[in-house]
Amino acid sequence: MNHAGPTPVSTLGAIPIAAVLAALRGRGLWIELGAAVLRVQGDAPGLVAQLQSVYRCHPFLTQSGWADLHVRIERPHGLRRWLRPQVVFESDGRVPFEPFPADTALPLLEWGTNWLIGQRLNHLLLLHSGVVERGGRTMVLPAMPGSGKSTLTAALSLSGWRLLSDEFGAFDPVERMFRAVLKPVALKNASIEVIRRFAPEAHLGPEFPKTRKGTVAHLAADEEAVRRRHESAAPGAIVLPRWQAGSPTRLEPLAPQSVFGAIAFNAFNYKVLGAVGFDAVVHLVRTCPAYQLIYSDLADAIARLDELWARLP
Amino acid sequence: MPSFACVPGTRVEAMGDLWAAFSPASGETLLLNDTSVAILELLSEGAMPLPAIVERLARDVARPEGEIETLLRDHWPKIIEAGLVCVVGQASPER
Repeated sequence: MNHAGPTPVSTLGAIPIAAVLAALRGRGLWIELGAAVLRVQGDAPGLVAQLQSVYRCHPFLTQSGWADLHVRIERPHGLRRWLRPQVVFESDGRVPFEPFPADTALPLLEWGTNWLIGQRLNHLLLLHSGVVERGGRTMVLPAMPGSGKSTLTAALSLSGWRLLSDEFGAFDPVERMFRAVLKPVALKNASIEVIRRFAPEAHLGPEFPKTRKGTVAHLAADEEAVRRRHESAAPGAIVLPRWQAGSPTRLEPLAPQSVFGAIAFNAFNYKVLGAVGFDAVVHLVRTCPAYQLIYSDLADAIARLDELWARLP
Repeated sequence: MPSFACVPGTRVEAMGDLWAAFSPASGETLLLNDTSVAILELLSEGAMPLPAIVERLARDVARPEGEIETLLRDHWPKIIEAGLVCVVGQASPER
């Protein structure tokens, strides 16, 4: 009798480049994000190495029973295949965006996939927030763009907190739990250097200058976050971050009416969900203590959040 | 004279100093103050025309009807536009 256990799956970062290239040009690369499965195909130059860098701990899968999102990143036909080359994002036969320069295939994949997630995963309430977990409970970090959410989420994920997502607070309104949408954390401009200084050992992918959002780079999710990507977590607390130059760290309680607006009206699909979304937000506001975090020093901000977590009932 | 009623299925939940209200008709969510919610609460008992709304609210909160009319002028358009209240046609003549 054969008592062998399941065959271990290699990680994307450990696989020979030729195998990843073959997958992308063939039946695809399946990336399990937790709440969704992404299937990627295409011939975009440089994408293989970029994926191996920022999804390095994700399992290397070339087939699966299901994918929620089917994406192709490809060079267009015609002149732009060679002259100032571009790449296009295609999903389910549609090209929803303008082409990107060919050397920005990864940012195009990441932003395009985020857009698809926001459109498709309507069995979940998708808050626009970072989400990290410790002790089985989540800290939800909803924020407007430019507030420092991704920088703080990245730093927390490098400080003993499990990353679920830097973009989507994916709340299951039936189970009333948060689910991971585990993609690399997108860092922009000055925050790239902030994270490099904060954690020199952190694995950052290549930098892409001159994108529409400036220079972007991606922090790969660590092995533990990937291993636990299917593990849901209960709501814990809501923290609205705001980076403010020179500010001492302040953690101030927020009134329920402020929190309701911050998470409902900033969610990707609140209106789509109707009463289900309304009930879910009411539940979160009533369940989770909420705070505004104003900070300039990342390490100090994280220390305050660690203290908060130790005090949570 | 038209009567007004709370849209069936309207949800109202306390949120700190305000109330979150959801309309199934429009899909809109608003944060309302006590006055607007008092109007919705009244109309959840049954449809009534505006003068009756003013009279009842004035009696319930012990304020002059003129003051209530002014308050209604401020809040009424918002809750109508949000789909929280709807017109239900002419009121039956009193017997």
